[in-house]
Formats: sequence, C-alpha cells, structure tokens
Amino acid sequence: MPGSDPPGHPGRTIVVAFIVRRVIAAVLMLAVVSAATFAIFFLIPRALGQTPEGMASRYVGRDATPEAIQGAVKRMHLDDPILVQYGRFAQGIVAGQDYSLGPKKAECPAPCFGFSFNNNQPVWPTLLDRLPATLSLAFGAAIVWLISGVGIGVISALRRGTLLDRTAMTVALAGVSLPIYFTGLVSLSVFAYTLGIFPGGGSYTPITQNPVMWFQALILPWITLAFLYAALYARLTRAGMLETMSEDYIRTARAKGLKESTVVVKHALRATLTPILTIFGLDLGLLLGGAVLTESTFSIQGIGKLVIDAIRGNDLPVVLGVTLFAAFFIVLANLIVDILYAVVDPRVRLS
Amino acid sequence: MRKINVLTLAAMGTTLALGLAACGGTAGGGGNATTGSGASGAAASTAKYNDGYTKVVNPSDAKGGTLKFALTDEPDSVDPGNTYYAWNWDFTRLYARPLMTYAAEPGDAGLKLVPDLAEGAGEASADGLTWTYKLKKGIKYDDGTEVKAADVKYAVARSNFTDELTDGPKYFAQYLDADGYKGPYKDKNLDDFKGVETPDDYTVVFKLKHPFAEFDFLVANPQTAPVPQAKDTGVDYEKTVASTGPFKFESYEVGKQLNLVRNTNWDQATDTTRKQLPDRIEVQYKQNAEDIDSRLIAGQIQVDLGGTGVQSAARAKIVGDPKLKDSTDNPFTPFNRYAMMSTQVKPFDNIECRKAVQYATDKVATQAPWGGPLGGEIGTTAMTPTTVGYKAFDLFPNGADHTGDLAKAKESLAACGQPNGFATNIAVRGDRTKEVQVAEAMQASLDRVGIKLTIKKYPSGDWSAQYAGKPDFVHKNNLGIMVAGWGSDWPSGFGFLSQIVDGRFIKPSGNYNMMELNDKSVNDLLDKGIQTTDATARNEIWAEVDKKVMESAAFLPFVYEKTLIFRPSNLTNVYVHPAYGMYDYTWLGVQQ
Amino acid sequence: MTAPLDVSGQAMEAQPEAVLEGVGGKAIEGRSLGQIAWIRLKRDKAAIIGAFVVVFLTLIAIFAERPFGGLIALFGDLPNVPHNNLIDPMTSAPKAGWGGISLEHPFGLEPVNGRDLFARVLSGAQISLLVAFLATLVSVVIGALLGVVAGFFGGWVDTLISRLMDVFLAFPLLLFAIAIVGALPDQALGLQGNGLRISVIVFIIGFFSWPYIARIVRGQTLSLREREFVDAARSLGAGNGYIIFREVLPNLVAPILVYATLLIPTNILFEASLSFLGVGVNEPQASWGGMLTRAVDYYQIAPHFMIVPGLAIFITVMAFNLLGDGLRDALDPRAR
Repeated sequence: MPGSDPPGHPGRTIVVAFIVRRVIAAVLMLAVVSAATFAIFFLIPRALGQTPEGMASRYVGRDATPEAIQGAVKRMHLDDPILVQYGRFAQGIVAGQDYSLGPKKAECPAPCFGFSFNNNQPVWPTLLDRLPATLSLAFGAAIVWLISGVGIGVISALRRGTLLDRTAMTVALAGVSLPIYFTGLVSLSVFAYTLGIFPGGGSYTPITQNPVMWFQALILPWITLAFLYAALYARLTRAGMLETMSEDYIRTARAKGLKESTVVVKHALRATLTPILTIFGLDLGLLLGGAVLTESTFSIQGIGKLVIDAIRGNDLPVVLGVTLFAAFFIVLANLIVDILYAVVDPRVRLS
Repeated sequence: MRKINVLTLAAMGTTLALGLAACGGTAGGGGNATTGSGASGAAASTAKYNDGYTKVVNPSDAKGGTLKFALTDEPDSVDPGNTYYAWNWDFTRLYARPLMTYAAEPGDAGLKLVPDLAEGAGEASADGLTWTYKLKKGIKYDDGTEVKAADVKYAVARSNFTDELTDGPKYFAQYLDADGYKGPYKDKNLDDFKGVETPDDYTVVFKLKHPFAEFDFLVANPQTAPVPQAKDTGVDYEKTVASTGPFKFESYEVGKQLNLVRNTNWDQATDTTRKQLPDRIEVQYKQNAEDIDSRLIAGQIQVDLGGTGVQSAARAKIVGDPKLKDSTDNPFTPFNRYAMMSTQVKPFDNIECRKAVQYATDKVATQAPWGGPLGGEIGTTAMTPTTVGYKAFDLFPNGADHTGDLAKAKESLAACGQPNGFATNIAVRGDRTKEVQVAEAMQASLDRVGIKLTIKKYPSGDWSAQYAGKPDFVHKNNLGIMVAGWGSDWPSGFGFLSQIVDGRFIKPSGNYNMMELNDKSVNDLLDKGIQTTDATARNEIWAEVDKKVMESAAFLPFVYEKTLIFRPSNLTNVYVHPAYGMYDYTWLGVQQ
Repeated sequence: MTAPLDVSGQAMEAQPEAVLEGVGGKAIEGRSLGQIAWIRLKRDKAAIIGAFVVVFLTLIAIFAERPFGGLIALFGDLPNVPHNNLIDPMTSAPKAGWGGISLEHPFGLEPVNGRDLFARVLSGAQISLLVAFLATLVSVVIGALLGVVAGFFGGWVDTLISRLMDVFLAFPLLLFAIAIVGALPDQALGLQGNGLRISVIVFIIGFFSWPYIARIVRGQTLSLREREFVDAARSLGAGNGYIIFREVLPNLVAPILVYATLLIPTNILFEASLSFLGVGVNEPQASWGGMLTRAVDYYQIAPHFMIVPGLAIFITVMAFNLLGDGLRDALDPRAR
C-alpha cells in the first residue's frame, strides 16, 4: 500500500541510489533524443537532396548572391560532416558558443540552441520568453481537468449504471472524440464572436501585465483543452474506481464496518489516484513542450505556436530547439513520476 | 502566411507637398497642398469610402496622444538597412531619413521623389556614371551629433556588402563600382570602399558601373539612412538604431513590441515630408489578425501596420454596413498577382498553347481567392496601375466578364497542334492558401478546354532558391505554369519589370523571370530606358516593354492587388500613400 | 480510451495490463471466449450502433469515388468543381443563406470558390479512413512483434525493447510528424504527390505509435509464457518461433483487436491534425482537417464550413470509440 515506507527506514540509501540511476538514465535519454532529433532535421533533408547551400539560402534573405550563400555556409559550418555539426550543436547546449553578428562576436551562453534564421534572435531566450504563455495554459487547464475529470469519474463509478453515469460517460466519450481545434473554433465562434462573453483569439496578455485580462483571455482555451483531458480522466477514474472497489481489501474494509465515505475516499480513491497522477505527470510534461493545436487555434504566443510558425517558416534552429525543449519536459516528467513512485512504493526500486 | 514578404515594394518616402504647409508646422497645416476636407479636426465623421485614397482625411495638427500600430507578423528587422518589407520601408521613415524620399501626397503626385537628407535631387555626370548628393547641414541624430556624409557611405556599405545583414535588397552591390570590396565588417577601413566617395562631410558621390537614370529611386531606399560606424553593432543594431527622424527608440523587444517617442533633435525645418504629431508610437507584433480587426473597428488601435487589409470576417461586416464602409479605403498595393508559363516547358514553348491558357482562364475565379473586387482588380498587364509608366491594354480579351473565351482558347489549342488539350503542372507555394486557391481555380477553368493541370505545392521558403526559381528544376519537373506575385522595390516600370522580364536576369537559382523570357527587344528596351534621362520618354519605354512582355503570352496577370484597410475615426491626418499602397505612417496623428 | 491529440497520448494506455488482465482467461462452461464476447457485445447497444456507423462509413469511403465515379457522381456534384456564380464576391461567402445548403448541395458550399461540401466530405472520408487503417496496421505489426519478442525472451532483449519504447514515447510525436511531412519533397522513394505524402503519414503515425500496442502485448506475453500450454509445447520440442507464432500470438488476438480498434480513431484525429496544420494531403484532394484549416478564415461568416467537416470527424471517431469500448468490455469480464 502506498506510503508505507516509514521515515528513517534503511531503504533510504537504496532510494538515493535509485534516484541517481534514474537521473543518469534520463540524461542519457536526452542525449539520445537530441542526437535523433538532430539527425532527423539535418540528415533526412540531406538524404532527400538538400544541399548546404540550400540550407544556407534560408538564412540569407531573398536575392542572395552566391557569395552571400557561400558566406553563410562557411559561417554556420553547414559544409562540415554531420557528426562535427552535431558535436558543435551539443557543445553549444552544454558550453555556449560565439556567433558573428557583424562588427563583433555575439556570445550565446549555454544552453545555446543557435540563432533563428528568421529574426536572428537566439533561440533559448525566445523559448523562455514564450514559456509563461504555455505554462499559464497548461497549468490552468490541468487544474480544471484534474478536478472535473476525477470528480466526474468518481461520481460516475459510485452511481454506476444510473442516468447520471451514462450521460457523463457519453459526454466523456464525445469529449475524447472531438478534435480540439474544432471545439476551439466552435467555442470562439459562439462565446467570443456571437455572444461576446469572452475575448476572441489572440487576446492573451501576460499575467504580469494585466491579471484580469490574462484570466479572461485564458478561460476559453482552458475549458477547451480541459474538456478533452477531463473526458479522458473521467473515463480512467471511473474504470480505476470500479476495479479497486471490487478488490478484496475494499470488501474487507467494508466488512470491518467502516463508513462508506471513508472506504471510498481513504481506500478506493487513493489507490485509483496513484496511476492517474502518473498519467497526469506525463500529460502535463507533454503539454509544457507546447500545446500546438490549442495555441494555434487561440493564437496564444506560446511554445507550440512558436514551433508551428518556425516549421512553416523553415526556421530549423527554432524547430530543433523546441523539439528538444519538449522532449526535456517529457523526460523530466517521466523522471519525477518514476522517483515519486519509488518513494511511495518500495517494490518498484527492487525491480 | 499573411506575410507579404518577398518583394516588397517600393519606395520609401513620403512627404508632402514639398515645402508647403508641412514645414514649420504652421497651424492648420492639415490641409496642405492636397485637397483636404476643409476645416481641420471637425470633419472627422464626414469621410466617405475611399476618401483617404484621394485626400487627407481628418486633417489636424493637434499634437499629443499615443498612436498604436499592430501587426500579425514580426519584421525581419527594424534596422533600416536590413529589411525588405514594404510596410517597414514606410514605417522606418519615422526614425530614419534616406537621401531622397517620396512626396507626401495622395494620388500620382506621391510617386514623385523629393530630397530628404539631401538638399536636392542627385546630379548625374554627363556619362551617367556618377551621382552626387549634397547633404542638408545641421541634421542631427537623436543624441545631438551631426550627420556626416561618411555615415551615409557606411550605411550603404554595411547593408549591401556584408554577409550578416542579409534581409534587405542588394541593389547597391549590383550597381556600384566596388568590385573586390569585402564589406566593413571584414575590412574596417571605409576608404577601401570605392563605390561611394565623400569628398567632404556634406557630399556623397556614388560611382556606378553602368548609367542608371533612376538612381534617385535607389537612394530613396532606407539603406541610405545614415549609420555612424562607431555605433554599428551589426545584426543587433536594430535594438539601438540612431534616429534621424521625428521619433526615436524608447524600447524594443524583438518579436513583441516597439515603442517610439519624440526625437527632440529632429527639426521640422529640415524636413518637408514628415510630421511629429503623437507623443509616442507603440507597435505590437505577432497579433492575431481577427483581433487586430476588432480592435481597429473599436478604435483601440489605429493602424494595421502590415497594410494587408482586414480579414474576411471583418470584410463581410464592413460590406454590409455603409457606416463602417465609409471608414475604409480600398487602395491598390504595389503587387501584381499573376502566373508565368515557362517558355522552356512543352507544350508552352509554342506561343499558341500559352495563348490558349490566356483565353481559357476564368479571371473571376482567380480573383475570388484575393477577396473578390475588394481584394484586387482583374489585371491584363504586367505592370500595375500605380507603377509610373503604366498604360492599360488587354491583348487577350477573355470574354466580356473575364470568365474565359473558350472558343478562342480552342482555336489557339488547334493552332498549337493540341486540339484536345494537354496535361501539365501548376506550381504554387503550398503554404499560401490564396495562391493554392488560385491554382485550384486555374485547374477548374482550364479543364473546360481539356488542359489538365496537376497542382504541385512547394514551400515558400525555398520557392525561389530551389523550386520555381530554379530553371533546371522547372524543366525536369515539367512546371508549365507557376503562380507568383511581384511588387516592385520602387514604383517605376524598370523597378517593376527588370527583375521579372529581363532575359539576362535568368539565374540558375533565385530566378524571378520564371517564364524564361529572353527577348532581345525587351532587354534592349530596358537598357535604353534606364539610360534615358528624360522621365517622360523613359516612362513611354516602360509601357512599351509591358506590351512586348504581354505579347509573349507567357505572363498571365490575375489581379492588381487591392486591400481594404480600416481607418478608425480617431486617426487623423490620414491618406493612402501611393508608393506603398498603405497609409503614410509619418503623417498620422491620433485624436485624444 | 483514445489518445488526445495535443498530447500524443501515452496517457491513456498507461495501465493497460491491469485493465486487460484476464482477457486470455479461462473458458467458462465450455463456451469459447469468442462466443461469450459475442453475446456480451450484442447486448451493448452503443457498441452495436458504433459498429453500424463504422461499417457504413467504411462502405462510403470505399465507394465514394469508385466504381464509375461512385457515390459522389451518383449525387451529382464533383469535389473539385467550383461554383463561383453561387458565391458573393464581396464577402466570399455563399450568396444563399445557410451556407448555400440546398437539394443540389446538401452540405452547402465552400466559401470563395463554391465547391460542393457533400462531395468533399465524402472524398475526405477516403483519406481519413485509409490513413487510419493503414497506420494502425503498421503499428500493430511492429508493436505486436516487438512486444511479443520482449515479453517472451525477457532479459536484455526485453530491456532493449523497453528502453526503445521509452525513447519513442519521449519524442514529441506531433512536432516530429509536422516537421518531417513539412520537409517532404514532391518526389522521393519512387513515389510522388499525394501518394508519397499518404505513405509517409501512414508510416510516421504507425511508426511512432507502435509502443502502445507493444506495451500491452509485452505484458500479456509475460503472463502467457508461464502458462501450462507453453510449457507443454516446449516439452514437446517446439522452437521459439513456433511457440511465438502458434501458441502465444493466437492468444493475443483479442487484446490486439481491441487496441487496434481504439487506435484507429486516434489515428483519424492524428491525420486530421496534420491536415489542419497544413502538412497533410495536398489540395485539391479534400481532407477533413484541410477543410477545417480553410474554415478558420471563414468560420465567422460561413460557420457551416467549419461544422460540416468537424462533425464528420466527430461522428467517425465517436463510432470507432463506441465500438472499441464495446469490444473491450465484451472481452474483459471485469471492466463492466
């Protein structure tokens, strides 16, 4: 049962060793992902016939002379072997790098993901700059879906077979069957442009600038995004609850004469929530790497919008940066979930 | 994809009636030389649809307030020497003064050049190989130091001869006699740059390889706005631009926001084309297009900086509401939207097959994606109506309503030896919805005479470097038709045509003469024109070139692009500048 | 459970072993598992409705354009024929009210060019279902093979495959798909145009979603290999290949079927998202996601243009989900 590891237990060193092992694994995983990502964006285009000049021509404006393109190839070392380029890229992330901006060198401190082809800005600060919008969207939606999804799932499980249960589950099934850009457009159309209750697309304002506007502008995106996940979580919670409720220990608890609410909250819900929280961690990690569709639909200038714009504009350094950034969050979320599990459930460590 | 990027247009400057009212800021100057609607200020609500196209709407000299711009995109750079967007060439004039600029007037008068940093128009030597400009004395940067001729020279050197500043055009590199110069970032000694000479602090002499009668247009490019060598930080200079215009940088967050405030070191007495009405100017980048429209209509912001017009939702609303419609203008932009047929791809090597396409195209269908009549007027020439030298004609009338003359198309097909039609490809920038829709319309309209098109989509980023702009690729992939657009860098026939019709400009990559038209008479006329100093005679030649190009039947114009731009009632002193096809940003004020 | 899109969805199948436990379970009272499942399924009205819709839509997709122009031709209008005369050039919207919905155009007209939406929705159904089925097939083949190998052999093989799954799950799938499809040339690998794009989309979706199937198969295999009949086969001298293909895999058909059914709607949504983001099939071939992209610019003045493809996606995905849920419930006694 969760949480049964008493403090000061001799298992502590094992926990530490476990954590160290997982952290090392996570770092290795990131290295593998970064290499694979780099290969996909640099190797595949090459294999399909892209030349260093072709890549450089994205960096110099239109009407570039052949000399200017050659200059860009040299400056960005696009003609180096791919491994050398990857080495330089990895070095930039770990140790930073210098770039020529004209009369002087610009320092691009670690972690350096290079400069955008499109606006010459370093990628990393741009990412950080876009992060608050994505964080606002992801965390806000997460709160909404966790509460509503788990709540509905529990009620459905307890009222299993009733009209309430069936309605909730039908809505939930509909929720997971709707593309988010469709629900997003419909909600914009109805609530923003027809009824005028909420502001329209593109009205996101940083919380530091105007908390009220921030909140108003995010209500629709939160609800739209949360609807999808809430539907999913309601289904998961309900299934999990039904399963735990039929476990022996629940029957035992009931037989001992515990109050039904205690049984539900203390035992059934607790057991159900552990796997849900795992999934929650992973989902959140994934979203932090950019909610591409939601941000596009609502024109929120977050990480997801950044990457989709970059892909459309062929802005490789930004695409590469965001992909790694997103992978980082996924790996991080995995790591945290693993470690929490290990702390909570000692059996995991031994496996 | 609302970028207009490529090819921007035109020119720069603005100005109003040369020395008239604008100078000195005489009160009530709103009327200036242009028509003006009488009493300043009060007349706000009486403006009608398209009024801003012919006169100054809401004339006012009232100072103060914050003028707010918004843009769906972000600029390539706000460095005047490193940008290629038409709207940005209009906007940079707020803080950067080139040697020459356009007269601040609506209508054709605005296409005339007037001196800005210079005292007068350039003086060409007898052989046409040197152009000399005298600088006005006492023009200062926002820090109070005086502008020197060397700063202009340096600005030209950095924007045209370095690998780092890649976003702007490279006309000076092309025309100046400066072979072997490595640019100021590799070679710190500016004396090694022989293309421009500065005999004293107030004289700039340009040395050309070949005579170029429209050189004044070139120096109206923001790239001649002075940059002090000591202050240049290359790509990063956009964050600390030294201002010579009525406004200077207060703060700039790349991709987000630019704030300008009054430049107290700017002197109205030296400047005939600008005003300094608002206290500050704020620009927000990366805004949602629909949101911009609703804020414009609500008067919360004053200008859509890109000048690309309102979105379809707002357009529908405006069309249905006469009051709203009176707050809009519908100017031509400098863009022509067209397709080119490759003369090197079978069966378009036969002019009759090209003619068949000219006759069979339903130009109402190809106009629809641009937004119908509000988005463009059906075109029949290579040059646009706002290009100096434009003359209207139609060599291939395709039915009274432009929906196609199928009988004539079939005649041409028969003459081409393909009476039942043929199959070919149409190439298009896949990420530009409107252009894809045009290709779809072409597909449907040519299908009526048996010409089967397959649509090929390519990314716009590499469009000219690797696909449609690469003749090898075009031939290999049988790209018979390519959908394109062009807006000239300065509004003359040469500025418009030379890059896209001169046979000697056919490049192995980055080619804009995609039809690969290499007609000696066209090439010769272009050469003759650019060496003709008499403007009237020159402009006649441009019209002749246009006709020759159309005779080849390889150039298929769809629309002369127009935009429906909204003019909020609290925006004062507003008129459409013809060189940009958008409002003159240096004139605007805001009612408080 | 379906994958939500913004996430690429490892979320939902995180604990599949638990849910599916017992699927390969003992036969009760001489009835085969299949018979029991069938009886259960028949009682599940929602699943039956879902099944009918799925069959109906599949038939529509198959017969949309063939033979002889198919259903589309039967109803008159072709998907790529413009009707500019029915569009108001000033607003780009259909002249007639309600998006131009009429007897000739039961779903109305596309803004700007007036193409018939009924024909386009039918035409788009082919793409959606084709991509979804093929991609699911790819991931089932890869996932089942790797999953069974990992579960059966255990040890370093299992470790290797499990790590591989982790790596795949750490890739932001949607981003990759967009970037790769977006960078596709017009011709490669002997294919061109939409043929190439569809192949690549199928491959990417299938290739990145195999871990979901593999995890389930691995878990099931782990328990199966300890079972008596496997031991029996081995004692009779059967080789590993024989045991895997003849003994283990046949017992995994049920869970694979369930998860394949549940993967199809995910893949439909995935394809639609790619098209929505502009990296799906090329116009003028209709696709539901592509129609929605264009609807973005017109949803305020021509809402039907958004609603028609949106509902098409919704109904299809919902039907597959109902069927998949029903199948799972029928095969898993404890999930009810």
